[in-house]
Amino acid sequence: MIAGDPRPPGWGLAAAFARRELRGGLKGFRVFLACLALGVATIAGVGSLAEGVDAALMADARVLLGGDVELSFTHREASDEQRRHLGARGEVSTIAEMRAMARGETHRVLVELKAVDGRYPLVGEVVLEGGGSLAGALERRDGVWGAAAERATLSRLGLTVGDTLAVGEERYAIRAVIVAEPDRSANVFTLGPRLMVALASLPETGLLQPGSLVRYEYRVRLPPGVAANDWIAELRQRFPAAGWRIRSLNEAAPGVQRWIDRIAFFLSLVGLTALLVGGVGVANAVRSYLEGKTNTIATLKCLGAPARFVRRVYLLQIAALAGLGIALGLLVGALAPILVAPLLQGQLPVAARIGLYPVPLIKATALGFLTALAFSLWPLARARAVPPAALFRDRVAHARTAPRLVDVAAIVVVVIALAMLTIETAVDRRLAINFVIAAAASFALFRIAGAAIAVLARRIRGIRRPGLRMALANMHRPGSATPAIVLSLGLGLTVLITVALVQGNLVRQLREQIPEIAPTFFFIDLQSDQVAEFDALVGRMPGVGEVRRVPSLRGRIVKIDGEPVERVAVAPEAQWAIGSDRGLTYSARPPADSRVVAGRWWPPDYSGPPLVSFDAQLARGMGLEVGDRITINVLGRDIEAQIANLRAIDWTSLGINFTLVFAPGALEAAPHTHIATAQVAAGYEDSVERAVTDRFANVSAIRIKDALATVDRMLANIAVAARATAALTLAAGILVLAGAVIATQRRRNYDAVVLKVLGARRRDVLAAFLIEFGLIGAATSLVATIAGSFAAWFLMGRYLRAEFVFLPRTVIGVAIAATAAIMVLGLAGTWRALSQKAAPLLRNE
Amino acid sequence: MSADPVAEPLVELVDVHLKLASAAGEVNILRGLELEVAAGETVAVVGPSGSGKSTMMMVMAGLERPSSGRVRIAGREISSMSEDDLALFRRTRVGIVFQSFHLIQTMNALENVAVPLEFAGRGDAFERARDSLEAVGLGHRVTHYPGQLSGGEQQRVALARAVVAEPDLLLADEPTGNLDADTGHQIIELLFALRAQHGSTLILITHDPELAARCDRTVRLLDGQVVAPERAAALRAAR
Repeated sequence: MIAGDPRPPGWGLAAAFARRELRGGLKGFRVFLACLALGVATIAGVGSLAEGVDAALMADARVLLGGDVELSFTHREASDEQRRHLGARGEVSTIAEMRAMARGETHRVLVELKAVDGRYPLVGEVVLEGGGSLAGALERRDGVWGAAAERATLSRLGLTVGDTLAVGEERYAIRAVIVAEPDRSANVFTLGPRLMVALASLPETGLLQPGSLVRYEYRVRLPPGVAANDWIAELRQRFPAAGWRIRSLNEAAPGVQRWIDRIAFFLSLVGLTALLVGGVGVANAVRSYLEGKTNTIATLKCLGAPARFVRRVYLLQIAALAGLGIALGLLVGALAPILVAPLLQGQLPVAARIGLYPVPLIKATALGFLTALAFSLWPLARARAVPPAALFRDRVAHARTAPRLVDVAAIVVVVIALAMLTIETAVDRRLAINFVIAAAASFALFRIAGAAIAVLARRIRGIRRPGLRMALANMHRPGSATPAIVLSLGLGLTVLITVALVQGNLVRQLREQIPEIAPTFFFIDLQSDQVAEFDALVGRMPGVGEVRRVPSLRGRIVKIDGEPVERVAVAPEAQWAIGSDRGLTYSARPPADSRVVAGRWWPPDYSGPPLVSFDAQLARGMGLEVGDRITINVLGRDIEAQIANLRAIDWTSLGINFTLVFAPGALEAAPHTHIATAQVAAGYEDSVERAVTDRFANVSAIRIKDALATVDRMLANIAVAARATAALTLAAGILVLAGAVIATQRRRNYDAVVLKVLGARRRDVLAAFLIEFGLIGAATSLVATIAGSFAAWFLMGRYLRAEFVFLPRTVIGVAIAATAAIMVLGLAGTWRALSQKAAPLLRNE
Repeated sequence: MSADPVAEPLVELVDVHLKLASAAGEVNILRGLELEVAAGETVAVVGPSGSGKSTMMMVMAGLERPSSGRVRIAGREISSMSEDDLALFRRTRVGIVFQSFHLIQTMNALENVAVPLEFAGRGDAFERARDSLEAVGLGHRVTHYPGQLSGGEQQRVALARAVVAEPDLLLADEPTGNLDADTGHQIIELLFALRAQHGSTLILITHDPELAARCDRTVRLLDGQVVAPERAAALRAAR
């Protein structure tokens, strides 16, 4: 006997053995690599693109913001004292933005009107068609002010450069077409094309009435060396109750950034689903690889390898292969933005900065490794337990060893790490937690469904047709592909059906339901002294149905229970309501399209301290209840009101809805306008719009149909992204299906040969395979339909707050297509079995 | 070579029983097996298929744990050892030659032979493995993979691997069962020569009476028992 080291062989030797083993090549690991690469590429790609957009927003922040700091007011300008203060501490450019009707000879169009001073833009450049300066285009020449317009404004009005248009009571000469506007950024959603005029001309339009919905913005370029934070702190100290909204470079385009981050998060969850579905393929590949290694493992053990060493050898191999798959995924994911970014041109205010962003790549790597590990540990534990006696003739079946506690614990730890990583890196933790729960439930559901289908197939007896009998037998016999196919394709299909149903429901609401109940027009900026005439005018016009009118002004939530809102923890889904101005109204009676769900509505003749009615869902996000106090800054004045009640609001009606409704008494004295909606029969829209805007030059008419079309377009773009990523999940499922079919190929070949030897025709064999895949596909589709419908119902009700309707045609279409795809793919994988020659196979067997 | 019959036996099986579970229920494979083999002895094990020959060998190698009874190899009780202790024990004490060679397909001849020494942490694993391959006449094929070797060559590699750590006990399970007569003969010559060179104890399962006759003695198994246990009893009495 030679002397030896009694210690167990270490990682180094395990690595050497793993390297030798991998000489066998990657055969059998193609599906493994593809599954990991696909999921990692999706997560890395989506993350890189979002980082690229974020980086562009950061890099262009000064241009997007239009300066170093922006101060804004709704309804009113800064006071002389405030303006003097700003002017002494930086270079200031003043802008006023509002919605207004631009009227040409024949058409009128709602435009996003921007009135700028001579210093605009402080940063960046307005590019005009054919060159020239903006100031030159907007100046007053021969008593006529100039205007610059987007191409869309002119085409909708049927005008060209040189023509004139009217805004309010003023006529403008169109002198230039805007090609690029540096700070046209933050609004993802706009109601009309741009029209730009000189700030000095705005008072002459007559649009600036008390309470008009106009926003004044003061962009400030700070002197060199002055830190924005210090500057803002000083400003806050000097004017503590100014009520302005202050934005600096880190929130140049908060709306866009939030929107991008949320969509990216949603798509990365879909990517993670693809990765998890691919995990089933990983597990299958690892299991079948290790099953092929039974002899090697037993031999190593015979030669003195401890079980721990065996596990290390194969763990290292799996890790190396996972590394390769992840590297492939990272490569594709990092390059994907180069292909996708051009598709986003025009959808975003900035072009994504293509680059290597480590954070999404690291996250994708971690998720990839954890997934590979989570799905490999179980087959690895079984390989570790291979008895060395397996090398001798296997006359007696060895009892299956029970899983060791430490192996189960390791899997649990990895799965928890995967869940924690998903939740901790999420922009919306609640959604991430729901996703983790849903993913776990779906895995359990489809695992059980796979087992149930196999049990059902075993229970069915007395079938006389051999083809059907063989199909059923294939579905339940040991080593059957049924569980893997049901699990992987079921998960992929569920995602697809969920996306299809959510999208179908949104489209249905936008195209069918909302247009039916929504008003035709919103009229904004009606003055108090115009309302009587407006009511009379609209009331007597033909084609006009229901008209509703309420007072309207803007205000910003500044404190919650006395605490400045910046210091209050507000849930992500309620953040939108605190950053900027919200519409306010006052009313003696509860508004239509909403119902009180907590507290009580005030008596119609209420006259006491300010009370407010608040949106129930926002209240939840802000942790508010009936009796709590919120402070709203209206026109520079803080009004503290007690929450009297909470309302559930049906936003889908697109009627006049306000998150904040005050009790009578608090707001009547403030300068404000009125907002009205009108139902107008088809064919009368133009005449009504013309009559109102001709009579009241300061009033803007918003056509809901146009606004819906904008939303529809946005939704279509998001839907394309959602469907593309859902398709990736399905692609992962198909990869797993392909892997499972390949794994059973040899058995199918043998079955086909035996059947043919016994007299079966090719079409009999074909029918047997078709029935098998058809039954599995149909059963999987059925379960996925139920799970997907449930998920869509949950998403619609919980996150989109909209009614859910089951869309049988959409779902049945997806289910039939999926079943057909499973049959075709299954058949493609077994086609060779049909032409298998009997003799060679029988000789080998 | 004959062993000293009164010395401490290298292999001692006392009333060894082994039951295994199968789909059809429990099967008794070994039923009170008694056997002693002295150090340096060569023993042929014969018996019909299913008599428990291979299982007995697995028990001796610590690859199968008996349901009851004692198994002492080289003075150590192995039936109560942990799986990892058994692996450590096999590494240097036991060499096994299989009917189907069981070489690791992804390793070349040299690496296959070096495996037990690598497990033993020997820095000279590859030098010794090369020597061992030279000894079986395969010095010129060290970098060949099993798939590139003939059956006879593969079995020579397996032989080199079994003896490279100079084990006390050499177990061979029908080592010529998959080879033609000429090749089989060469392998047996090699097996006996290597055994003699290292002084190992050899236990050889075979169906070939001629081959059995080359051993010091023959043990016959039937239904999991040694048919003629008188020599074992006599050995015990002599001590």
